[in-house]
Amino acid sequence: MYGIILFTVLVSTYLMVIAKRMPALIRGFRYQSFCLFVFTWVIASGHRQPDLFVVAGLLFVLKVSLIPYLLYQIIKKIRVSEDLGLFINPQLSLVWALVFTYLSWVFSVSLLISHETVLTSMLAIAFFIVLAGLFLMITRMSALAQIIGLLVMENGLFLLASTVSGGMPFFVEIAIFFDVFVSVVIMGLFVHRINKLFTHIDVNKLSRLKG
Amino acid sequence: MSDFLPKQFFQFDPLSLFFLFVIFIVSLPSAIYSFSYLKGEYSPAKIRLSWFLLTIFVFSMALVVSVNNALVFLVFWEIMSLASYFLVVFDTDHEKSIQAGMIYIVMTHIGTAFLIAALMLMYKHANSFDFSAIKSACQVMPGKTKNIIFLLLLAGFGTKAGIVPLHIWLPYAHPQAPSHISSIMSGVMIKTALYGIIRFVIYILGVQAYWWGILLLILAGITCLVGIIYALMVRDIKRLLAYSSVENIGIILLGIGMAMLFQSINMPYLAVFSLIAGLYHLVNHAIFKGLLFLGAGSVYKACGTRDMEKLGGLIKNMPQTAVCFLIGAMAISALPPFNGFVSEWLILQAFFLGAVNATGGIKVFLVICAAVLALTSGLAAACFVKAFGITFLALPRSRYAEEAREVPLMMRMSMFFLSLLVIVFGLACVKIIKILVQVAGSVMSVDISSMHFSLNNFVLSPQSGKNIYFSTPLLGLMLLVLGLAGFVVYRLFGKNKAVIYKTWDCGYYKIGPRNEYTATAFSKPFRIAFGFFLLPYRKTQKIRESFYHVKSFVYETHTTPVFKLYIYEPLLELVFKVAKSVRRMQLGSIHLYLGYIFITIVLLIVFIQKF
Repeated sequence: MYGIILFTVLVSTYLMVIAKRMPALIRGFRYQSFCLFVFTWVIASGHRQPDLFVVAGLLFVLKVSLIPYLLYQIIKKIRVSEDLGLFINPQLSLVWALVFTYLSWVFSVSLLISHETVLTSMLAIAFFIVLAGLFLMITRMSALAQIIGLLVMENGLFLLASTVSGGMPFFVEIAIFFDVFVSVVIMGLFVHRINKLFTHIDVNKLSRLKG
Repeated sequence: MSDFLPKQFFQFDPLSLFFLFVIFIVSLPSAIYSFSYLKGEYSPAKIRLSWFLLTIFVFSMALVVSVNNALVFLVFWEIMSLASYFLVVFDTDHEKSIQAGMIYIVMTHIGTAFLIAALMLMYKHANSFDFSAIKSACQVMPGKTKNIIFLLLLAGFGTKAGIVPLHIWLPYAHPQAPSHISSIMSGVMIKTALYGIIRFVIYILGVQAYWWGILLLILAGITCLVGIIYALMVRDIKRLLAYSSVENIGIILLGIGMAMLFQSINMPYLAVFSLIAGLYHLVNHAIFKGLLFLGAGSVYKACGTRDMEKLGGLIKNMPQTAVCFLIGAMAISALPPFNGFVSEWLILQAFFLGAVNATGGIKVFLVICAAVLALTSGLAAACFVKAFGITFLALPRSRYAEEAREVPLMMRMSMFFLSLLVIVFGLACVKIIKILVQVAGSVMSVDISSMHFSLNNFVLSPQSGKNIYFSTPLLGLMLLVLGLAGFVVYRLFGKNKAVIYKTWDCGYYKIGPRNEYTATAFSKPFRIAFGFFLLPYRKTQKIRESFYHVKSFVYETHTTPVFKLYIYEPLLELVFKVAKSVRRMQLGSIHLYLGYIFITIVLLIVFIQKF
């Protein structure tokens, strides 16, 4: 059961890596967050922990509904081209993503002492998601991709925490959700301001500001 | 939190007590001196600030030498550095002070960085910052680590002490501070670095290899010579004293280095003896350098300048200051019966004893060191003939010097007190050495009761059985009697025909102060003799009205700042070069920066396979 859900998380991440336009990227993020929500829900019902239900609910409210909605609002408002501006094209990105998947698999095999397949693959996927988030931030020009990359990394960390250590303390979890939400709002404002000032949100061109 | 009871951070073993004594014996008269010195120079608010800083400074020094925990030591060490920094830049009106303070704070923090590295290495092995725990951990430490720690400690404390070539901050910072602060900094603060070397290297780390002692002796020898040669060259009287501090640190380190050398080649008697000699010179230097800085401060207060070429003839207007300065100058030039003579004589004796008892190359090396020390003493005498002669004798070279008046009583009292100490430490050397034996014995953890230092009440004979005796009271008495006898003989049989004429006129006719011997002229022979090191050069410039008519001719002579040119400038160049190549990495692209992080992570994942 866990394996299937994790596999869907993996697939949604690949979807994001090959996305060319902003709505597709946001949709990918939504899928990923939804899969995480299902994953948490299943764990919660398996362990019968009320805390985890709350966490899952928050996951649904924030990451599946509110944050994608906000991001959609931003791209609607700033009315720039929906192109993400890829440094590396989707096909090559997918190849890289596969390489990273392999690397994180190798990493988690070397990290864990017991070679239990489920746990190892959980760790590998969680770690891969963190890497993929960073990869998105690097290879996409649009500032929006940076926000989503950060959120993807956060998802990866969430997965890492819940798989390896059985979840973070409840209050820490809540605090992180709040942080993520606030950071999205702030970064959304930033993107808005950048767009207003420079009429684009291409981070690559910001290097011209350098003295 | 019972681990942090304050009382267990302190220890008062003989070494700490000795340094506490040195700190307070110089700080106290300096503080009293500052009552009058600061009055009129600064606003009342600033004087209050100065007292506040002075108190912090002195107490942080006292705490540095009395804690027994490496971490607490570092904290107080840093407080001491910062307090002294603020005192160096106390004269905020002068741009030079700010500049000097900058050099000082940068150098002292480089030194502290080395110290932190060394103490962290010690902590890693001991798992505790406590001195006794570190000491027991050092017994089982691998030799390589010990060597690294020793070099780090040497660099760290060497920066504070002013070992050449790390001395560059000293001639800037010490003259710029107010004089009572210079006296404490030069007299005491740089000694805390020597405390650090004794405490951490000899007491805690334990001397491991004989090259430690050799290295320290070589550095100390270079420090002596470089310090005194530069002191001979400068015109600023406080700067001269600062360079002379570099020299004296070198002499003290000769004693300490020798103690390390003898300890490593298993000669405990000589090791204790050398350490005694070093410590004796340490306390002596604290006293007479404090005295000389206070004297220079009085001159500055009276004349408003520190440039010796503008002074002169002060002995007539300020006789009491002049006598005190003369006593200090005689002591620092190692003239009997004052205290400087005793300690330098002891260090020389230690060298000779070592040369007699050691074997092989060390024998030759020690003799060379003794020669270096002898040369240094000679040059120091020349240097202070210049300092005293140009400043206090001759005719006044400027209006400031002409109008100088004797300084207030409180300043003179401090100087009298220190002059008295100079004489007492010279005459009562036997008693003092008896105390120092305890200090040195406890540092070396050597049983001193079996050692025979053959001290009678007034007579000192380190080379027992070799008929070399020495007694300062006797020497003083002899000088007095001989002097009196000479005077009487002269009075009875000499030609009573004295012509009182103008000062330094040499029988010429109407020579003014501008024709007199100057400090630069006095040091000219030394500039030529040490030309290979000082690299003096001339700058001439013709000022002409037309091409054919040269109206005047400008002539300047300078010495090449060797350390600045050949050590620090290449270093700076290197830093800039590295910075330039690092800049290539920094393109201002956020993606690239994120990419760096990413690549690092991926590389780490790949590398984790290897371990």
